[in-house]
Amino acid sequence: MKNIEELAQELSYTVFTMEDSSAVILDGYTSDLLSDVMGNASEDSALITIQAHKNTIAVASLIGMHAIILCNGRAPADDMIEAAKREQIAILGTSENQFTVSYRLAKALGKV
Amino acid sequence: MGRWCIDLHNHSCLSPCGSDALLPSILAMEAYDKGVEILALTDHNCCRNIPAFADACEIIGITGVFGVEVTTLEEIHVLALFEEVPQALDFGRYIESMLPRIPNAARLFGNQYVCDVAGTHIEEAELFLYGPADITYDTLVELTLARNGLVIPAHIDRPANSVTANLGFLPELPYSAVESIAIPPVVDTNGYTVIQGSDAHYIEHVGRRRCFIESDVVGFAALRDAFSRNTVSFLGNL
Repeated sequence: MKNIEELAQELSYTVFTMEDSSAVILDGYTSDLLSDVMGNASEDSALITIQAHKNTIAVASLIGMHAIILCNGRAPADDMIEAAKREQIAILGTSENQFTVSYRLAKALGKV
Repeated sequence: MGRWCIDLHNHSCLSPCGSDALLPSILAMEAYDKGVEILALTDHNCCRNIPAFADACEIIGITGVFGVEVTTLEEIHVLALFEEVPQALDFGRYIESMLPRIPNAARLFGNQYVCDVAGTHIEEAELFLYGPADITYDTLVELTLARNGLVIPAHIDRPANSVTANLGFLPELPYSAVESIAIPPVVDTNGYTVIQGSDAHYIEHVGRRRCFIESDVVGFAALRDAFSRNTVSFLGNL
């Protein structure tokens, strides 16, 4: 169990926004289909995705996710960052792909 | 040979991401003011504001096209357009029946108001309308054409919810046309007729991307005719 700030530091990911650095991350969910995220992701997990737009924030907030990790060097749109601040969801970014991020996050959380 | 200004991609207050102020009647009035002559309402996965829109178009004297922007299983946005209100309502009910059973969270996604021509709220759509509907891209194209509709992959040059982004290519299917935001298109359109649409979500978006068609016939038939002969032209946008 780690908070989002510890994870961002440990994994050396870019922080686009992090209003609540103490939010605890228990798990991860990797998907680029938001309908799949809505149906299957669990709260308190980080969403690993390439969907860098504000609908992703709405879906994450609906589920109770506290962090989104954008892969493949994708940068969030301005309105995505605004929505993330409002919903207290952190957005991290990396040039790594979803496979690598999933593995590294799982390792950092002691799941593998 | 007639020439018409068309705008076939617009939302209303029914779409969660559409402004509450963009009533179907306001859409028709604004578009008329901007010189649009053939106008479609295409809310996300729902046609319940089509009756109000049809009434407004008739009063204002603009040719209404009755459509829906379907989110396919692959989360690709596709416009399905119909000539008659009952066709659209029937198709809209069918698409709605295939949406995930997820109630709308209005605080996060926005309101989904169904209203009449005067703008009075009749009801709110309960399910989250963004989709996806349980229908594949290929099946949607086939079904829309089978119901005598026009089928147009939406904003194929957008980085999210487009056929190019989500599949990586434009499958060879009998589209009526394809919609591009940029003209000339920055993605491969493979010889299909290209159109532009406003994709209006706010009043100030209405009429921002229009195009022109030329045809010997009028109304909905002119669209089919102009798309098949590719007599679409662009004159810059507002």
